[in-house]
Amino acid sequence: MLLTKAAAFIKRDFLTEISYKSAFLMNLIGIFFSSLTFFFIAKLFGRAAAPHLQDYGGDYFPFVLIGIAFSTFLGVGLGTSASALRQEQMLGTLEAMLITPTRASSIVIYLTLWNFIYSSFNILVYLLIGRLVFGIHFSLSQPLLILVILFLSILSFSSLGIISACFVMVFKRGNPVNWIVSSSFDLLGGVYYPITILPGPLQVISHLLPITYALRALRGMLLAGCSWTEVKIEVLALLGFAVILFPLALLLFELSLHWAKKDGSLSQY
Amino acid sequence: MTEACVIETKDLTKYFTISANLIDLLPRVFRKKPVVKAVEGVDITIERGEVFGLLGPNGAGKTTLIKMLCTLIVPTRGKGFVNGSDIVKQGEAVRKSIGLVTGEERSFYWRLTGKQNLRFFASLYNLKTEDVKRKIGNLVELLDMGEYIDMRFDEYSTGMKQHLAVARSLLRDTQVLFMDEPTKSLDYHSAAQLRRFIRERIVGQERRTVFFTTHILKEAEDFADRIAVMDRGCVKAVGTVPELKRRIKNPEASIEDIFRYFT
Repeated sequence: MLLTKAAAFIKRDFLTEISYKSAFLMNLIGIFFSSLTFFFIAKLFGRAAAPHLQDYGGDYFPFVLIGIAFSTFLGVGLGTSASALRQEQMLGTLEAMLITPTRASSIVIYLTLWNFIYSSFNILVYLLIGRLVFGIHFSLSQPLLILVILFLSILSFSSLGIISACFVMVFKRGNPVNWIVSSSFDLLGGVYYPITILPGPLQVISHLLPITYALRALRGMLLAGCSWTEVKIEVLALLGFAVILFPLALLLFELSLHWAKKDGSLSQY
Repeated sequence: MTEACVIETKDLTKYFTISANLIDLLPRVFRKKPVVKAVEGVDITIERGEVFGLLGPNGAGKTTLIKMLCTLIVPTRGKGFVNGSDIVKQGEAVRKSIGLVTGEERSFYWRLTGKQNLRFFASLYNLKTEDVKRKIGNLVELLDMGEYIDMRFDEYSTGMKQHLAVARSLLRDTQVLFMDEPTKSLDYHSAAQLRRFIRERIVGQERRTVFFTTHILKEAEDFADRIAVMDRGCVKAVGTVPELKRRIKNPEASIEDIFRYFT
């Protein structure tokens, strides 16, 4: 039954997506131009950034390409629950869903599924452009471990997204979680540059963010062919984030839903 | 709650604070907020197979009451039971046994067809895949939706939207059907057709219970077995139309007279 419901949400969002004819093409063009932009920025740096990138092969372009590709997961995990919830409020479909026997905490997870599938496709496009257009070599020797890291990253990022959705449920707009987390992740998570160039105190903070571990593990595996023992710490850290954040996020969501039901503001936006 | 009783409320009450903002997160002692009494001390009992009409002017508290019974709003105090389940403590059990139709034109996905919308909601209602097609086929035939079920929802007229909302509420064979102003935006013929369908099919053949709200006096009189008149959050009177006439001591009274008397 869980899979049937998950499939129903994915199908619904897929049908909505393809009803916008040009969006898919524009997305592909956007990925290509974004990759091209960073390719030229990498040319500008030349080998100057190499000392900071020794662990990842020394070249800036593959480093940043993986950063921006996988940070889309972060964006989806962080933003989708809140934006989808708001969309359902605006469409008037939230109450129609909550009147069904499907649990609200399940609904908030189902709402994100399509976007994760779509952003996985985007990541694939980034990697394909990197390989076919710019000749980057990616090491795919341990696909299972890569999938485990992606799964744990999704759980961690989604948890933060669900917490962000709690603010939408209660306050409707003016959501601070999304802004604070995405800004700090961009600044401190190592998307565009390695965290080793940050001052010491900021490096400490960056170690409190799941994206730091996700990107370090993925870059290590895809660019330097790291083994399980070399990314063990990152995987365990991501597992820790997921185990703590996910139940906490679901609990907070149930509480915020109860608050909205008490306030009578479930369908307000 | 007796065997025949499907819906029961005791002192069901809902107060709303005027606005929601950060101050609301503070403990109650730090805030003083004006309160609106949306529903106050409602006691009603509705039996199986009954069409119960909640009649009241705009802002009377009808929608708040129906939303409390559907577990979409938590009461401030009092008790409510639907099909024997407590609306606060057993929300999931309540939701399994009810369907809801609102007069709200939204509540569907505009870029999907009517059928795609029904399939999506059927999956949330835990319907088995093999049953979904048959069930939707039956509803399309019953509600005469064949001509437009494969059209996108954003191309639907108001009447079509309302029929789709009714179809969604009937995807499962639930004992109780809540309808919040179901004919609000329908023309005379569509409204009459919908009422006939509910009376003959839903109640007559299937013996389901229908709880509907309306501000249209004639609709309440013609359609409901019993009426509750609600005004400013309170249920002022409950009974059949003849009972209400006796209560105001005027056997010749029209529904308008009854309504004026109690509101």
